[in-house]
Amino acid sequence: MKAKKRVLLVPLDPVHDVGLKMIRKALDSAGHWTMLLPPDTPPEEAVQQAIENEVTEVLVGRTVSYEVAEVLGKFVDLAEAAGLRENARLVVGGMAMRPELAAELGFDAGFGPDTTVEEVVAFVEGRRHNPEQASTKRPKIRITEGYSYRFRDPTVEKLAGILAERCITWAQERTSPAVRRALYRRQLLELAREAEESGSTKAAQLERARADLYEQYLSLCDEQVVRAYRKEGLPRMVRELSAAEVRDLRRYVERCDEGVRPRSIRHCRERPAIFVQYGTGCPFMDIAHIKVSEAWGADGVVHFDPSWGARTEGLFEGHLTHQGDGSIISPENLRIISSSLSPSTLWQVRAHRGLNTPETVLLAAEVGADLTKVNMAYGCLGGGTDPERMVVDGVETIKIAARYGLPFDVVTNEELCGVPAYKAFASMLVVVAIALRLGGKPLLQPLFCRSPDVMVRGYMDDNYVDYNLAKLEVLKHIIHAPIWPGAPVGFLTHTQDRVQSSVSTALHAALAGRAGATAVTIASSDEAYSGGPISVASRVDTLRAVAEAFRFYGSSAVDASDRARNWAAELYDGIVRTLRAAQKEGFVASLYKGVFGSREDGAYPGRAGKGTVQQK
Amino acid sequence: MEMGFAEHVLDAVDIETLLKCDTEADARRMVIEWLKSLGLNDVDVVFLEHTPVGTRVRARAYLYRPGDRYPWLSRKDGARAEGGSVACEG
Repeated sequence: MKAKKRVLLVPLDPVHDVGLKMIRKALDSAGHWTMLLPPDTPPEEAVQQAIENEVTEVLVGRTVSYEVAEVLGKFVDLAEAAGLRENARLVVGGMAMRPELAAELGFDAGFGPDTTVEEVVAFVEGRRHNPEQASTKRPKIRITEGYSYRFRDPTVEKLAGILAERCITWAQERTSPAVRRALYRRQLLELAREAEESGSTKAAQLERARADLYEQYLSLCDEQVVRAYRKEGLPRMVRELSAAEVRDLRRYVERCDEGVRPRSIRHCRERPAIFVQYGTGCPFMDIAHIKVSEAWGADGVVHFDPSWGARTEGLFEGHLTHQGDGSIISPENLRIISSSLSPSTLWQVRAHRGLNTPETVLLAAEVGADLTKVNMAYGCLGGGTDPERMVVDGVETIKIAARYGLPFDVVTNEELCGVPAYKAFASMLVVVAIALRLGGKPLLQPLFCRSPDVMVRGYMDDNYVDYNLAKLEVLKHIIHAPIWPGAPVGFLTHTQDRVQSSVSTALHAALAGRAGATAVTIASSDEAYSGGPISVASRVDTLRAVAEAFRFYGSSAVDASDRARNWAAELYDGIVRTLRAAQKEGFVASLYKGVFGSREDGAYPGRAGKGTVQQK
Repeated sequence: MEMGFAEHVLDAVDIETLLKCDTEADARRMVIEWLKSLGLNDVDVVFLEHTPVGTRVRARAYLYRPGDRYPWLSRKDGARAEGGSVACEG
């Protein structure tokens, strides 16, 4: 056991002593003897008290910045002259202090304004400060825990349920190239595992089986994917990362992980989990963004794939980078990103809008993703995929996600096209009902955004709070399920000014937290800048801002105003009206016919994959 | 050999300042010219807010874009990295 210390705490400051009081409390708790002198104690008296009480440490505090050198220098001189230094260490800290200044003045140590109480206690006790032990560990958040997934509103439950049942039955009779590719991919993964376990005994046989499966897989792929597999060339702007780069990346991650201090930016809240999006085009630059985001307190990261990848039949293989938004989904890219994540980081791989949805979720689950993203309505109304194809693929995807226990958010980004929130919520709730019937764990993802519909109707002319709260209120009224506002929060409120952008993001995130959201996705402060890639530093801007907003609001709650409650009631009526309108045609036909978002709204059924659905 | 400043930059360098100039276009031109005079070529103005009193500006120089070879990735302690596509003299 460490020897107990005798510590004198001296505020050589006209009024400030709060820092010393906090340190004293911690030292007392650790069993040390302490004495705290009042502010403005003359240096002579402080030295005398130190000698009389035979202290081992004198902790001097100084907050005000005028005459710092004179006052502290005088104290050190007096301590020297009285022989105090022979038995005691002299330490100084406070707002006006820097370690260099402390050394210059003759102190044994100096602590600046960012010092924690734990650091000072560690110094007094003569041990190395270990922030990993001192700070709260950041466990991986169990994002769907505590939700019953019970519908609270019987009307919506019934209407969404009927549509879900019919949709599942309809999809069960159909298949698509993506559904079949996912099957082949699964078999390829199983073969790889078998080859690893059996060693060389069945190598030739397994290799033949693998080659056969690849041929079948490639027969369902677009030409550019086939060319890449046959080593005949990659798409324009795409290159394979070298083995040396892969090796260097692994070392880089190791260096990043050394001594990283787990940090929560949620202050006293366990939720919401704070997610950031990445997708620079290069998986290695993505990993740099991820490591920075982790270090500055992000709880989770979201993988963005390129929009062209979503319109391509088949997935590429290899460590691939390309110059453009979104990072290519390949088994190797996902594996190396997965292996670079800190253990506490939640990882979401989006799969919601394209022609590779089932296979993406299968791969993501296999390599360790925690979450994915599925919404057939957005995938076809805002994501460019044919509705029939998207629904067949989406139902299969939900089955895969359920098999792996992979929760997924049901994003409603069609609101950004102009679709009113109530219509987007109606289709989201149908997908949720489908998911629950198939054993899935969906998370509702309303947008916290200034959408075109909001702008036209003036819902946010006064403030950004009421309408966003109305969205949460109505969803909480309908079902007990996790709600994850996104994506990112504050969409269309951001400008290129990083201060404005960060503040807007932080306030939206804090609003979500105070309203009981499970998770929240935030942008970088480059959100509104389109002249180049998002810079790593811009991620720090918003994470710092969010941390400050959570610190500001703490565990305080926010109540919906009358206006918010009225809008929630209007949203509810719209949801029920939309679900009723869809009953006659069913879910898929309603997507084509604009029930869940029409051309007038700004939603257009996509065409990618049109005509590829087959009856089983 | 020690790595240079530019090889430690993850992607971009931003500068923020407030210029006294007559027009928004002047501010834009000045900041871009200044960055280029430092040998930075992949440059852009991220944000600009002009008032008669002064122009608040944030400009950016990308040293590495996604897909480049990043010196900080291949850094060995105390050794200069190989490769890279540094767009400045730094």
